[in-house]
Amino acid sequence: MKDLLKKLAETFGPAGNEAQIRDVIREKVKGFVDEVETDAMGNLIAIRKGHGPRVMVAAHMDEIGVIVTHIDEKGFLRFSNIGGVSPFVLLGQKVIFANGTVGSCGMENLSEMKDLKLNKMFIDIGATDRDSASKKVSIGDIGGLYGEAHFIGDKVIAKSLDNRSGCAVLIKTLENLAERDIHNQIYAVFTVQEEVGLRGAKIAAYRVNPDIGFAVDVTRTGDTPESPAMAVKLGGGPTIKVKDSVVLTHPLVRQFMIDIAEKKDIPYQLEVLERGGTDTGPIHLTREGVPSGAISIPARYIHTPSEMADLNDIENAVKFLVAILESELGDRGTGYLTH
Amino acid sequence: MKTTGLAGFLKDAISAPGVSGYEEKVVAAVKEEMSGLYDEARTDALGNLIMLKRGIGRAPHPRIMLAAHIDEIGLMVTKIEDQGCLRVTQVGGIDKRILPGLEVIVYGKKELPGVVGAKPPHVQDPDEQKKAVKWEDLYVDIGLTGEEAQELVNIGDIITFAQSPIQLQGRFMAGKSMDNRTGVMVLFECLKFLRAMRHHADVYCVATVQEEVGLRGATTVTYGIVPDIGIAIDVGFGEQPSVPEHQGMSMDKGPGIAIGPVVHPKIFGRLKAIAKELEITVQTVPSPNPYGTDACSIQITRGGIPTALVSIPLRYMHTSVETVCLADIERAGRLLAEFIVRLDKKFVEELKCF
Repeated sequence: MKDLLKKLAETFGPAGNEAQIRDVIREKVKGFVDEVETDAMGNLIAIRKGHGPRVMVAAHMDEIGVIVTHIDEKGFLRFSNIGGVSPFVLLGQKVIFANGTVGSCGMENLSEMKDLKLNKMFIDIGATDRDSASKKVSIGDIGGLYGEAHFIGDKVIAKSLDNRSGCAVLIKTLENLAERDIHNQIYAVFTVQEEVGLRGAKIAAYRVNPDIGFAVDVTRTGDTPESPAMAVKLGGGPTIKVKDSVVLTHPLVRQFMIDIAEKKDIPYQLEVLERGGTDTGPIHLTREGVPSGAISIPARYIHTPSEMADLNDIENAVKFLVAILESELGDRGTGYLTH
Repeated sequence: MKTTGLAGFLKDAISAPGVSGYEEKVVAAVKEEMSGLYDEARTDALGNLIMLKRGIGRAPHPRIMLAAHIDEIGLMVTKIEDQGCLRVTQVGGIDKRILPGLEVIVYGKKELPGVVGAKPPHVQDPDEQKKAVKWEDLYVDIGLTGEEAQELVNIGDIITFAQSPIQLQGRFMAGKSMDNRTGVMVLFECLKFLRAMRHHADVYCVATVQEEVGLRGATTVTYGIVPDIGIAIDVGFGEQPSVPEHQGMSMDKGPGIAIGPVVHPKIFGRLKAIAKELEITVQTVPSPNPYGTDACSIQITRGGIPTALVSIPLRYMHTSVETVCLADIERAGRLLAEFIVRLDKKFVEELKCF
């Protein structure tokens, strides 16, 4: 798991530029499934054929990043955000572009630090003028955060655990299921452009047309000093989502998930995420509506280069997802859903 | 159908819990109370209640959908503190200034009465008195210690306002979740009128879910039904002190017929013409903003649905004492019934020609 997580977290793949991470994931999963497809936006869909209900499990593979808007005559790059990027988080950090060019994020001279905004910042790629900068980077190029994954005991610190940890869970789940007979049809979708508005999952869910849907993503915690009140902690187990900004989990799907976790003795936490959304949102509003839920991995410092998660939570999320996908699901997703 | 009539049904409907995503109880109550008025009813994957009253005559029948959201705003438990108080977040848009001092019901393992606590004015800093309380400082007290609360309450449990229906003078009634049980009552009134009328159109009366959190139920139910016409029925701002005259509808002067980008001009024109012909009092409501009601999500479903919006004037929106006039509900129900009996293939075809 550590090697997989390290490889996934360190691979380049900001929203809209998922080619490299998609290739890495495709290589990992192709031996575990019957078919691997991509669609018009670049979602990677790994399919386990079967005769039962169609189950979609989505983990977004894109990450936050920056986009170059201007190159000045001295070769400094002005930029805007791709997804939720705080200027305070970015200051002094390294970013990397698809071709391997690395830059440092600096700021103009400001009298007050609170005035820091992205338009007061620039990326320095060590160029001396516009021409030399333009040989490495063009306007519209997208960069991602740059950094290595570190393991400290049971904890991992890395960029893009949002949501490469979810991708790792999905890959390991497919590996676990590879040798087993499964009644359900499984559509494991590594979605694109989640960080810019849950875009990939929307079209993937329309194509898959699932009977039931799940997302695997990260969630915030309430266990750091003076953190907002939230009853989720690192190491407390994967969470069963109750609410976020884009979904109110179907009460029967939530109960179905709780019953499985308790039956299999998997630790879990209930998650009410006050701000933030996941692919569950667009999935459950697809076509005539899809009963949907989400498993989240508790993570601290989300959308920074130093996101932290607990390996036990990630391993337990794999056990949990395997148990869900192996369970008997009724016509409309679960036997519970007898509307 | 029970024989409680409009006032009794409205009291029952606003008393049932139905916070967005958890509408099952109020949906069951409405389905039961309206049985006999529709030919068949079902709920879909998200829990929308679809009541179909079939038209008469040769197929194909025009399909009209009337959509009134049945969900209400409420609170949700985010954390149980060691001393027993419950931290909460909002489901839908709640004005947190109205919360301190409110009675609530926590839907834990059983129904638990609770109160929203507040810091006494004596111990507030002068600065605090000028500001609304923050979400992180709000809590619900159910009179239990942390350990006891853990036994009965879980993260994610739903909380509603406990307000009982209040019969005001005249035909005015106040209470929680008038937004938009009032709209559901318009479906009720409309179907009652249709009992004695002959209509060619198939009428889909839908109580939609999860409107308050982003028009979610209407999105999926419209995709499923694919109506020729979709009319959303919701509440609108009624006149009250502090609401500017040009932003509020008069109370007891009939439903508002919206005009704006979300409304098909020919449906608007037909509704106004019928109101004039039958002397049903209505008000024209300019609605420049294409967000905020089910009409907005209905309009852009699939290849586009000709849409209209009928709104009932309501005072004190998103508080526990939302106030409406029953006469406006009856007028809206009658207007929609008269619109439905006049629906024919020609009108529906014309909607697609600009």
